Amino acid sequence: MNFKHKYVFLFPGLFVLIGILIFPIIFTIRLSLSGWNSYTPEMNFIGITNYIRLFTDDPRFWESFFRLSFLSVTTVILQYIIGFALALIVWREIKFKRFFRVIFLIPMMTTPVIMTVIWRTFFHESLGPVNDLLGNLGVKPILWLSDPVIAKFTVIIVEVWQWTPFMFLLLLAGLLSLPKEPFLAAAIDGASPFRKFVYVTFPLMAPISIGAIIIRLIEASKIMDTVFVLTSGGPGTATETSSFYIYIKGLREFQMGYAATLSFTYLVIMIISLTIIAKVLTKLMIKE
Amino acid sequence: MAKIDLSNISHTYNPKDLEPTYALNPFSMTWENGKRYAILGPSGCGKTTMLNIVSGLIKPTQGRILFDNKDVTSQKTETRNISQVFQFPVIYNTMSVYDNLAFPLKCRDFEKNKIEERVQSVSETLNLSSFLNMPARKLTADQKQLISLGRGLVREDVAAVLMDEPLTVIDPDLKFRLRRNLKEINEEYKTTLVYVTHDQNEAMTFADNIIVMDQGEIVQVGLPKDLFERPKTTFVGYFIGSPAMNLFGTQLHTDNSVKINDTIIKTNTNLSKLKNNNIKLGIRSEFVKVAKDESENLVEVNIQKIEDFGNFKLLTTKMGQLTIKSKINREIEIANDKVKLHFPPEKCCVYQNNKLI
Repeated sequence: MNFKHKYVFLFPGLFVLIGILIFPIIFTIRLSLSGWNSYTPEMNFIGITNYIRLFTDDPRFWESFFRLSFLSVTTVILQYIIGFALALIVWREIKFKRFFRVIFLIPMMTTPVIMTVIWRTFFHESLGPVNDLLGNLGVKPILWLSDPVIAKFTVIIVEVWQWTPFMFLLLLAGLLSLPKEPFLAAAIDGASPFRKFVYVTFPLMAPISIGAIIIRLIEASKIMDTVFVLTSGGPGTATETSSFYIYIKGLREFQMGYAATLSFTYLVIMIISLTIIAKVLTKLMIKE
Repeated sequence: MAKIDLSNISHTYNPKDLEPTYALNPFSMTWENGKRYAILGPSGCGKTTMLNIVSGLIKPTQGRILFDNKDVTSQKTETRNISQVFQFPVIYNTMSVYDNLAFPLKCRDFEKNKIEERVQSVSETLNLSSFLNMPARKLTADQKQLISLGRGLVREDVAAVLMDEPLTVIDPDLKFRLRRNLKEINEEYKTTLVYVTHDQNEAMTFADNIIVMDQGEIVQVGLPKDLFERPKTTFVGYFIGSPAMNLFGTQLHTDNSVKINDTIIKTNTNLSKLKNNNIKLGIRSEFVKVAKDESENLVEVNIQKIEDFGNFKLLTTKMGQLTIKSKINREIEIANDKVKLHFPPEKCCVYQNNKLI
């Protein structure tokens, strides 16, 4: 279309896009090439010094990155399995279907930070009700927040509780949009519920599943508030994730230049790895 | 294989309403073992509802279904031994063609040898032998539909194979071949086939018996020839045949003749007991001929249009306000604007209140 004034109409959208997306990225790249910190708060140019430091002298970032990978992949897999199971339950004609659909969504409607504070109280090692209840059953107190290994699983529990409803919602919407005929055909062929799931439900749900998993992976890889409130990355650095580490470098230690380097590197890694994951999932799950 | 009795069946999708609307009005019918039936009717007339009631996907609001005199009304689809093919191909995407065809047998724990033998036999009948090891999703739409069909035929014990407009996605040439194939299958395996369609040609060429439906009602059950020559209602006359039956509002004249405008048309129907209201005369365009030396049942008309369809000519003519269509031999030359058409008395159908007398 040859329309002279089209840019006038495009401008508001473009302006917002540039303001909130393009400018911050370019600014971050520029910042990552500077030594901006609390001693020299200025946009000087130090070349790729920050990047050299990141790749040769900062194992803590990479540790936090692999920890993040572990946490996000584990939570998303658990969310997918539990979410799918719940969606399958309320997809069928059961009593109080609507009631259950709403109940399952409640965790998602609560404020994550507040809920994490409540969870922290639950898991408090000497005052929390969880250890108290377990104590009544004769189980020794568990170090929910101060054992390096168990603390990771505590974070996983809270994350799964908070975000499974989102997975549930996406998968239920997917199930409700499926065509009826394949299920009717399977019923006529005499397929058992298990066979129906393996050969009909699951293949039909594959595209939706991939979408849901990717959306949750993107969200889960930003995991920050739960860690911040629950463990503050501790004990030591046992639950520290990339975003939390970047937050420490940038907003606690005010190494703005270096934090920008971490952010940009993190962005590039995430884009590449999520693209690969999406491709692999598509190949594994969709057979077209 | 079984005899299927539908006894006093009716169905509504909103039974809780004060005045439920019926998708199927009460009817009874028997489907004989090994025959081919076609259910024909316009969209939304209740064809698919009827089919789903037989297969058990829908439980009828009222009535009973008997397979070989055994009541199966409350039995689930899985246990009914029925097979159904849908309008669009339904295949198991993750399986090979062989596994697709074997699936209904595997689900019923058949022995491996038996499965192999049945799949081979069905795949040969349907010309799928060369694709057996291919992933089913790689096949074309019509081959996929053959797989759906094959899954229905692979079980020898099915009471009936129900098909819901199964050839919609298939191209005309293959459609013809498949219909013939289905007939052969029916003759070979003596499987009861029920075929839902809105295409009259499909129904006419496929079935022994055609069930014509309209608005949840069964209007006529009969042989293709009966439906064509003696439609029981004006709806059947209108719905079957192309072009539709010529229908005219008429007045009674004598015991066996009616009057259209001033023209007297004799029929072979006894009209002595009829009252003179809402009488219609119907005649197929195939039976309306250009008059040669006949002396009665002649109608003088003005020619509006002559269309050459290759194998016949379609005359569209007017007598006053009435339109009369006639299919004539394409060799016949029409020189004038006016011709005389002849209505053979034995082909004239008289309707009162849209029902055949």
